[in-house]
Amino acid sequence: MLKFSRNKLVSIVKEDGDTLIVHGVLDDYIYSLEINVSIRISDRRILSIDGKWNRWTTPECPRAIPVLKEAVGFCIEEGIVPEIHKIIGRKGCRHFANLLIECCDTAREAAMLSRWEDAKKENKELSFEEFVETGTQKLPVLQETVKHADVEKKVKEKPAQIKVSDKKDRTENKSAFDGTSKGFVIDLHMHTSPASPCSTAPVDRLIEEAKIIGLDGICLTDHNYVWDERAVEDLRQKHGFLVLRGNEITTGQGDMLVFGMYNDIKGIVKLEDLRQEVVQAKGFIIVAHPFRGFLVFGVGRLGLTPEKAMERPLFKFVDAVEVLNGKVTEKENDFALTVANGLGLFTTGGSDAHEVSEVGRYATRFSDKIKDEKDLVNALKSGNYTPVSFR
Amino acid sequence: MSNLLYYSRNRCTSVEQISDTTLKSSCRLQDTLTEAFVEITVRLPDLEITDIKSELTRSLHKKGMDTDKHLQKVIGVRVGPGMLKIIKGLIGEDMDCRELTFMVEECCHGVILAFTKDTLIDVPKDKGQIEEFYKNMVRKNIRMYNRCAAFAPGSPLVEGFEPLLK
Repeated sequence: MLKFSRNKLVSIVKEDGDTLIVHGVLDDYIYSLEINVSIRISDRRILSIDGKWNRWTTPECPRAIPVLKEAVGFCIEEGIVPEIHKIIGRKGCRHFANLLIECCDTAREAAMLSRWEDAKKENKELSFEEFVETGTQKLPVLQETVKHADVEKKVKEKPAQIKVSDKKDRTENKSAFDGTSKGFVIDLHMHTSPASPCSTAPVDRLIEEAKIIGLDGICLTDHNYVWDERAVEDLRQKHGFLVLRGNEITTGQGDMLVFGMYNDIKGIVKLEDLRQEVVQAKGFIIVAHPFRGFLVFGVGRLGLTPEKAMERPLFKFVDAVEVLNGKVTEKENDFALTVANGLGLFTTGGSDAHEVSEVGRYATRFSDKIKDEKDLVNALKSGNYTPVSFR
Repeated sequence: MSNLLYYSRNRCTSVEQISDTTLKSSCRLQDTLTEAFVEITVRLPDLEITDIKSELTRSLHKKGMDTDKHLQKVIGVRVGPGMLKIIKGLIGEDMDCRELTFMVEECCHGVILAFTKDTLIDVPKDKGQIEEFYKNMVRKNIRMYNRCAAFAPGSPLVEGFEPLLK
C-alpha cells in the first residue's frame, strides 16, 4: 500500500513568439497547490505569477500566497534555484518553491525547443539532437547579471532560536559545571560570512559578540573552508581574543568538526578517508549534530533507539560527539548525549551559530586554559571538558 | 494561437512501505523530452539508502551513460537534513546527472513527507486546538521558527516567541 504520493503536472502553452504561459499543479497526500507563471523567452524572466492553495495544513499557510509576487523579475536560469528556496521557500512556503522550481525547469526546456524552432528557420535540416549536441542551444549570456532587484537583497532571517516560557536550563543535569564554575569556555562550532554562504555573521562581529557575552575563545568552523593561519592570528591581535581554526567537513555520513588538520578538502569525502587524514595530522574529529532531525517529526517517530543508533558505523571513526548544538531540538541533543555516553565517547558543545546573536548558546568548558590550536587538540584528546549551555 | 500544449511534464513520487524496516520511494518523470525512473530503498529506522535503481528511457543528454552505476554512490547516505548537499556532492551536478540527482532528492523528500503525514494525522479537529497544536510544534522545534510564512514573525502561530535578539 502506498504510504505517500506526490504528483506534479506542468503544462506550457506558447502564448506568442516570446511568451510561455506555465501552469503548475502539485498534489500530494498533504498539500494541493497551483501556480500560473508567465515567462518571456528572450530574457527568460518571470513576468507574472499567481498561485492558490487547494489543501494546506496550518491556518496561516495562506500567508505564503503574496510572497509569490517576489518571484516577478527572476531569471529562470539554473542558478535561480537557491534564490527560489531562499525567497519563496523561506519567506513563503517550501512546497510553492518546489513547484516553482519544477515550472522554471520545464520552461527552460520549452524555451530551448522554441529556440530550436527558430534555428530551423535558418537550417531546415537541423534536428533537435544536433541542435542540442552542437551546443547551439546554449543561451546567450545576458547583459544584465542581476537576476532581480529583490534577489540581491539579503533575506533577513531571524534567529532560529526562540525564547519560550517553558525553556529550561540545559546545564542543570548535563554539566559538571554551573554558570559560576571556573574553567575556560570555548564555542567550538560557528560559521562566518562569507566563508560559509549559509552564514550572515561577519567574523569581526562574531568575535565582538563572543567577548561581550564572556566566552574565553571561539573556533571558526566554516564549511569545508580552511582559514589562513596569519589571518586568524591578525584577528587574535586585533581583538585581543582567542580565535582558533577548525573546519566543518561534509562526509557521506554527515558533518564532522575537525581540529588540528588543515587540509583544504572540497566536495564530499568518505568518513573513513577523512579519519585517516585526521589521524595522520594528529588531529581530532567530532561528529556534529549527529541526530539532527526533521522539521515536523523527530527520530522517535522512526523508532530509532539509542541502542540502534550506537550501531551506526560512523561512531567508529570519531573521537567525540557534539551533544549540545544550537540548531537542533533538546530531544535531539538529549538523544546524542545518551548515545555518546553509551559508547563512552567524549562530548562537546557548540552554538553552530550562523548569526551574531547565536554565538555562545552552547559551548565547551575546558578545565585548563587554552592558548593555541595545539593546546586545543591536546585538551580535546585529554577529555577534561564538558559541554555547557552558555547564554 | 491554438492553445495547444507546447510542453508537458508529469512527475510522480510514491513511497511504499515494504516491511517494518523497509521503504521504497520512486520518482517517475515523463515530459516532452525526457522519460526517467529512479527508485531508492531506505532502511528504517536509520533512513539509510540501501539500494538505488534508475532507468533513463528518453533523454537529451549523453546516451548510453551508465546512470545506474553512477547513482550507486548514494548508497549509505541517510535521508535527513543536509542530505541534498551530500547527494549533489556524490553524484555531481553535470547536466547529464542533474535530472537524476533531482529525482533522487524527490525520492528522499517523499520519504520525509510520508513521515510528516503520519505526524499530521495527530492534528486536532477542533479549530481552537489547531493553533495550539502548531504552536507546540514550533516550541518543540526551534528550527521551524521563521522557516516559512506560517511560522514567520507576525503569525499568530509564533506569537509570544520572542526572538533572542541582542
